[in-house]
Amino acid sequence: MSENPAGHMNSPKGVALTGFEALFMVRRAPAILLPVPVSIVALPRMSESRPPDPLARLGEKIDKARAERVRRQPAVGDRSAMQQGLGLGVRIGIELVVAIVVATGLGWAIDRWFGTRPWGMIVLFFLGVAAGMLNVYRAVTGVSGPVGFRPPDVGAAASEGRSDDEDC
Amino acid sequence: MAIEIRPLEQFTIERLIPLHIGSVDVSYTNAAFLMTVAVVLITALIMLGTRKRALVPGRWQSLAEMSYEFVADMVETNVGHGGREFFPFVFTLFMFILFANFLGLIPYSYTVTSQIIVTFALAAVVFIGVTIVGIVKHGFHFLRLFVPQGVPAPLLLLLVPIELLSYCIRPFTLSIRLFANMLAGHTMLAIFGGFAASIGLLGVFPLGINILLVALEVLVAALQAYVFAILTCLYLSDAINLH
Repeated sequence: MSENPAGHMNSPKGVALTGFEALFMVRRAPAILLPVPVSIVALPRMSESRPPDPLARLGEKIDKARAERVRRQPAVGDRSAMQQGLGLGVRIGIELVVAIVVATGLGWAIDRWFGTRPWGMIVLFFLGVAAGMLNVYRAVTGVSGPVGFRPPDVGAAASEGRSDDEDC
Repeated sequence: MAIEIRPLEQFTIERLIPLHIGSVDVSYTNAAFLMTVAVVLITALIMLGTRKRALVPGRWQSLAEMSYEFVADMVETNVGHGGREFFPFVFTLFMFILFANFLGLIPYSYTVTSQIIVTFALAAVVFIGVTIVGIVKHGFHFLRLFVPQGVPAPLLLLLVPIELLSYCIRPFTLSIRLFANMLAGHTMLAIFGGFAASIGLLGVFPLGINILLVALEVLVAALQAYVFAILTCLYLSDAINLH
């Protein structure tokens, strides 16, 4: 951890080194958490080599750091994909179970109020299963939009295009 | 060697200042205290962070700006432009849950979000608020949310109750997800902590597992706050961008 910021600061003209640096950072992506503050801290030290317009140079540096971060994204991707998968899995389980439990409970309450034992519970149990399935289907396909939302013509395209529309 | 392991003890509510109004118990409890701490910390972070208004942000200002931008981005991408007016709500919700989760990770503090009534209250506010927003924006037309398009009439008889049910279940899934994650995580921490304390020298193994679990819990604390906020955004988007 301690050597990483140093590796950053030792390159006053980082432009020449970007290829190497990028490689470097892809490998160590998890360790370097905040490249931006590091470069800000390093700023005063390098002020003698460049013309004196600190703000312009700061903007430049921030832009560079941002570009770097965007480039670094794929390397971190697989780990966060796993986390998203975990989140999605938990969500699906809860979605399904809660739908069935809540619906069945509602059916039981209706039966108690109206004396229609066992029918309310039976009907609502199956409705709950269906609603749970529907919610799971929506969560997985990314069609997380309006409850009944499925525009007839865009339907197929939407399920493809929005599947990465993440919500775990 | 008789150390009792009581993993659920950490969730007990204690009355710090007993108070009664009529027959209603409105005591100031440890949960209420932790909520107060969360609110005070959030307010302090935002107020102190934005006080200097430096062009080059310091640490605190960075933190405040990052949290602002994070939520603003989330609202923008998930709700669209019509969601700007709900940013304060989503931001408050996100920060409150995030801070409550993180404060709960401090040993001997209290996890507010492990109480289902707290998460359910938050989810109910979201649910009722979203429904009201939908009705205000679209009036009677809002009910079309429950009618899928291009479906033959006889099927609607079956589909509308299903859609209605899956809409009404939202506050439950929203609250149970947060509550269950927090409860399970903290119970697990306490169980492994109890093992570590009770089996002597071998206790280093459960201790090691506990260290990993704490890392996982930090992740879960942030992730669940994020999930709660993003689902709020999606529900808002349903109500605002009605087909």
